[in-house]
Amino acid sequence: MDRVDGTEHYKGDVSQGPIPALLLIILDTNPHAWALLNRDLPLSEAIANLLVFINAHLAFHNANQVAVVASHCHRAVWLYPRPGSSSEGVDMAGGETPAINDANKYRPFAQIEDQLLTSLRDLIQTTTPDDVASTNTTQMAGALTLALAHINKATLAFSQQIGGTETTADHLGSSDDTSGLQSRILVLSVSGDLAHQYIPIMNTTFAAQRMRVPIDILKLAGDTVFLQQASDTTRGIYLQLRSPQGFLQYLMMAFLPDQTSRKLLVAPTQEVVDFRAACFCHRKVVDVGFVCSICLSIFCSVPEGAVCLTCSTHLSLGEYGSKPAVVPRKKKKRRKLNGGDDTPSRPGTPVPNK
Amino acid sequence: MSSSDEDYVADDSDDAGSHQVSSRHGTRSQGPVKGPAGTSTRGGDPNAGTRKRAAWEDIQRSWDTVVESADGSITAAVEKERNEKKRGRLLRDTTPLQRGIIRHLILVIDLSFAMQEKDLRPTRYLLTLRFAVEFVTEFFEQNPISQLGIIGMRDGIALRISDISGNPTEHIEHLRALREQEPKGNPSLQNALEMSRAALYHAPSHGTREVLIIYGALLSSDPGDIHDTIANLITERIRVSIIGLAAQVAICSELCKRTNSGDDGNYNVILDDVHFRELLLAKTTPPITQTKQQSQSSLLMMGFPSRVLDAGPIMSLCACHSKLTRGGYLCSRCDAKVCSLPAECPACGLTLILSTHLARSYHHLFPLKNWIEIPWPLASQSKSCFSCQTPFPKPPRTSSHLQVPDGKGKGREGVGTSSESGRYGCEVCGRHFCIDCDLFAHEVVHNCPGCQGDSRGNVQVRDRDVEMGGS
Ligand SMILES: [Zn+2]
Ligand SMILES: [Zn+2]
Ligand SMILES: [Zn+2]
Ligand SMILES: [Zn+2]
Ligand SMILES: [Zn+2]
Ligand SMILES: [Zn+2]
Repeated sequence: MDRVDGTEHYKGDVSQGPIPALLLIILDTNPHAWALLNRDLPLSEAIANLLVFINAHLAFHNANQVAVVASHCHRAVWLYPRPGSSSEGVDMAGGETPAINDANKYRPFAQIEDQLLTSLRDLIQTTTPDDVASTNTTQMAGALTLALAHINKATLAFSQQIGGTETTADHLGSSDDTSGLQSRILVLSVSGDLAHQYIPIMNTTFAAQRMRVPIDILKLAGDTVFLQQASDTTRGIYLQLRSPQGFLQYLMMAFLPDQTSRKLLVAPTQEVVDFRAACFCHRKVVDVGFVCSICLSIFCSVPEGAVCLTCSTHLSLGEYGSKPAVVPRKKKKRRKLNGGDDTPSRPGTPVPNK
Repeated sequence: MSSSDEDYVADDSDDAGSHQVSSRHGTRSQGPVKGPAGTSTRGGDPNAGTRKRAAWEDIQRSWDTVVESADGSITAAVEKERNEKKRGRLLRDTTPLQRGIIRHLILVIDLSFAMQEKDLRPTRYLLTLRFAVEFVTEFFEQNPISQLGIIGMRDGIALRISDISGNPTEHIEHLRALREQEPKGNPSLQNALEMSRAALYHAPSHGTREVLIIYGALLSSDPGDIHDTIANLITERIRVSIIGLAAQVAICSELCKRTNSGDDGNYNVILDDVHFRELLLAKTTPPITQTKQQSQSSLLMMGFPSRVLDAGPIMSLCACHSKLTRGGYLCSRCDAKVCSLPAECPACGLTLILSTHLARSYHHLFPLKNWIEIPWPLASQSKSCFSCQTPFPKPPRTSSHLQVPDGKGKGREGVGTSSESGRYGCEVCGRHFCIDCDLFAHEVVHNCPGCQGDSRGNVQVRDRDVEMGGS
């Protein structure tokens, strides 16, 4: 679509003009959550508002790009651009439907609207009652992974178009934030607990941080610790939707500016960031845990036989062990240690050179 | 010397000759044999000269290995080699490290006139900055709960580039900003060491204290006697290692030897840019622990505090420095406020840490399996990459899809080579991906888009397991 002519247009003067932005939207389509939300904000209305927002983003710059991924109950699916019919993630028949030759609509807008709605309808139609009944969460980690892979590819393609030949690792290490595509991810999240996807979600978070892709979160319902951490780590915006009627306004006011404009704006910040982690043994969210010193796995309680469940190392309970150090004498000792004293007061600590 | 120390040195010499393994063994057999322990420990020094000679003798030129195709073009060969090189990087093994080690490291970068030399491309200065960025990224991957600071040497003084902290993005931004500046003046080893000493002064004693210097110059203009500084470093248990860009310097050698309790394996001079990068990245591996307490594997109780931000004019005192601050972290056990993490709660002694620091290393625990090349006969299942939707090349029209053209596909299976069909498949979910997504998934995101993107298969497996367990 307009990607081709847009980038050509920017050949040459990319350092002067504004940089095109890629907006990647992850739509959480968890049926359970939308069912609960239906009274305040039906999915259809949310989609209509979202399309207005997408159009606004595209209207900002004629090389701006957009992509939408659905994070559904058991799978993550591309909504736009629509995957070819061969991809068996969405088993649908039939290709593009034309009928977008509406003279009253800017063609790219109509195209996105058409494709997005078609894919979404397909997605809902291919969801069986079994799928819905067997889970109540969403495939957020998968959606984030797909989104980042798309951004990676788009960034590579973009830098090749403007004359660089960079590989994945190179553009991570060397590209400035002034050149190259400005990408960001917006997650419209409705699901709550994601603790069973803790590790994959954190993996995507750090990947996004390395790629300098902010992850913005608009929370329509529920609350997740890990998405909060994701947006904080990547310097994205985290907002809780307080009144669902104002959905579009939230999108337009908080999430429309790209990274360049955000430097000049005061973005809404999270006052409290919850940095709790999920334990590896029960996927429970904990604020105090036991950590294996070899592999850094987190456990909510001392594992049986004090053997790490991840790396099977036999662990001794360290000096921080289960004893809460509230005895005043002990406290003093620790302070001394902290002060960088060169005589460690721990018993049995040998001198550096044996 | 302990046995673990030998391993460490041996690692270094491995790095030195990694792309010319055969020549290194050759030189070693010529020298006097000192027994297994002796050779590996002393391997660094006496052989340095011979090894250097081998570097240019054995050099592999890319134009020697290129094979022209039938029509005389080399694009296919170049493309193939590029893909193989890309994938070759994936095969680094991930040895289990003790990640619970809290390291405190100061990276000192020479920003003096000597860095203008062009013996490294484009210049010593720019290459060093590029590698330094890589070093920072890799350091935090390997040592997720460690702290790093960066200091520069320019105009005879030490320059604070990036304060000691656990945030790689900040360090990288500061390093990037350096690129706009010019290297000039003399370096001062002593000033840099004194500043490092000051920065490491508050580092808690349960972690390591290290200084890593990238040194381009052959001189140091110091205000006082550097031997006093060395003595101070030793009393404060700070270990110094140096990577020289030009030639051996006596004071550097002495500095490294004395601060590492007589071990001279920490001073290295680079042979070329590849060697430079290897030496630098080798320093991301945690050093041999010298105290029993650290090497013991133990279960640490840690708290994951939440960050609070005092809004408006409200400020409160922190428990660690008794200073008025806006915001901080509340201890998860006693609610005392500390300014920064990782820290030990001053009130209850709980180790407080940002859970995101720990999570940074989890991809090492559950590594993503290497994907396999998909030969043409199996390629027809997919038309485009599952994650980025880039169309794949179409399978060649043969009489039967099961026939392998030239019989090539057989020998080339396995990991580390490029795929003839341009497809790489995950064995768990069976999806096909392009090479860019393969690299991206294994090097950056550490998730399989296919496995994460569809849990239906996994759910069935889990159900089956439950049934089997129940019956
Ligand atoms: Zn647990
Ligand atoms: Zn472990
Ligand atoms: Zn404080
Ligand atoms: Zn406390
Ligand atoms: Zn791909
Ligand atoms: Zn997979």
